[in-house]
Amino acid sequence: MFLFKLPTWQRIMGWGTVVLLPTGLFLALTAPPDAFQGPAARIMYVHVPSAWTAMFAGVVLFFNSVMYLWRRHKSWDTAAHATAGIGAVFTVLALLGGSIWGKPIWGVWWTWDARLTATAVLLMIYVGYLMLRAFLDDPEKEARFAAVVAIVGMIDVPIIHFSVKWWRTLHQAPSVMKPDVPSMPFEMLFPLLVMTVAFTVFFHYLLFLRMQLLQKEKLIEAQRQAVLREVQL
Amino acid sequence: MRFFRAAYAVAWKDVLLELRRKETFTAMFFFSLLVLLMFNFTLSLDRTQVLSLAPGLLWLAITFTGVLGLGKGFLAERENECMDGLILSPVPRGAIFLGKLAGNFLFIFAVEAVTLPLFVVLFNLDVWGRIGLLLFVVILGTAGLSLLGTLLSAMTVQVRAREVMFPLLILPLVIPVLIGAVQATAGVMRGDGWAEYAHWIRLLVAFDVVFSVASFWGFSFLLED
Repeated sequence: MFLFKLPTWQRIMGWGTVVLLPTGLFLALTAPPDAFQGPAARIMYVHVPSAWTAMFAGVVLFFNSVMYLWRRHKSWDTAAHATAGIGAVFTVLALLGGSIWGKPIWGVWWTWDARLTATAVLLMIYVGYLMLRAFLDDPEKEARFAAVVAIVGMIDVPIIHFSVKWWRTLHQAPSVMKPDVPSMPFEMLFPLLVMTVAFTVFFHYLLFLRMQLLQKEKLIEAQRQAVLREVQL
Repeated sequence: MRFFRAAYAVAWKDVLLELRRKETFTAMFFFSLLVLLMFNFTLSLDRTQVLSLAPGLLWLAITFTGVLGLGKGFLAERENECMDGLILSPVPRGAIFLGKLAGNFLFIFAVEAVTLPLFVVLFNLDVWGRIGLLLFVVILGTAGLSLLGTLLSAMTVQVRAREVMFPLLILPLVIPVLIGAVQATAGVMRGDGWAEYAHWIRLLVAFDVVFSVASFWGFSFLLED
C-alpha cells in the first residue's frame, strides 16, 4: 500500500510540518492587514486551513471506508479509524476559530448559516462514528459497521449543506454575513496557501502517528485476549 | 417475483406480530400524544404563532415518535435469537431490507394516520381541504425517515447501548428530510401554490432516491455473520 513504511512517512510529514507551519505563520503575521476587518482577519490563516482539513478528512474517511468494504484489508480500517478522530479535532478547531472570528466581524458567535450548520453536523457524524466503534467489541464487525456509517454519513454531508443553503437563501437574506472581499491579493493568498499545505501535511503526520498507535493498541488487545484464553484453559 | 414474495413474507411477519402484540403501535401512539401535550405546556402559542410553528412541531413529533419505534426495528429478531434464521434464509439481503422497511413504514404511518388529525384539531389548523397534499408530504418524509431508520437499527440492535446509539446516529442524518418536509408542510398549511414549494418536494424525493440506493447497498454488509 505504501512506498515506505508508516514510521518513515510519519517522519517525513513531521519534518514537513516543522518547516511549513512556522513559515506559514510568519507569512500570515507579516501579510498586509485586511482593509475592512483589521487584525481579526488573520484568524482566517488558521481557520480556513482547519476547515479544509476537516473536510479533507471526511473525503479520506469515505475513501478508506469504501476501500475497506471492497478489499477487507485491516489497514484500510485502521486508516479510517485514525482519520475520523483527527477529522473531529480539526472540525472543532474550525468551529472555534470561526466563532472567534465571527464575534468581532459578524457581531455573533454563531449563525445558522449553511456552512456552519453543515460543519456542526459533520462533527456529529464524526462523534457518532467514533462512539459506534467504542460500543462494538468484535473488531471485524466494528470495522464493517463503521465503514457503512462513514459512507452513508459522508454522502449525507453535501446534501445537508445544500438543503440548508437552499432553505436560508430562500427565506432570509444573510444579514449578519457580509460577503467577504471577493478576490484576495496575492500577498494574502500566498500565506493562506502555505498554511493550507502545512495543515494538510500536519494532518498526514497525525494520521500516520495515530495509525501506528491503533495498530499497537489492537495488537495489545489481541494478546490480552490470548492470555485470557490461556488462563481459562 | 421471488424477491418480492420474500420481502412480503418478512413484512407480513412483522405486521402479524404487531397485530397480535400491539406493543409498538401503542407505545408510539401514546408517545406522540405526549409529545403534543408537552408542546402545549412548554410553548404557550397564540393563533398567529401556531401557523408558523405547526409544521416544525408536527415534524418534531413525527421524528421523535419514529425514532422511538424504529429503534426497535430488529429487536424482535434479536430477543428471539432469530437473527441467524433471517441471515441463513435463502433470500437476497435486499428482500429482507425491503420487508423490514415496509413494516417500519407501515407502523409509523399507522401512528401518523391517527396523530395527524388529532394534531390538526388540537392546534386549530385549517387544512382539511388540502389533507391529501399534506398526506403526500408526510409519506415522502416518513419514507426518508424509515429508510435511514431501517438501515441504522439493523446496525445498532447488534451494539451495546443501542438506546443511545440509534438516536445519535439517525438524528444528524435525517436533517435534510426534516428541512424539506417542514418547508413543504408549511407551504401546504399556508395554502401556497404548488410552484412555491415544489422544490422542497423535489428535495424529499431526491433524498428518498439517494438513500434507497445507499441503504440497500449498505444493508448487505450488515448481515454477514
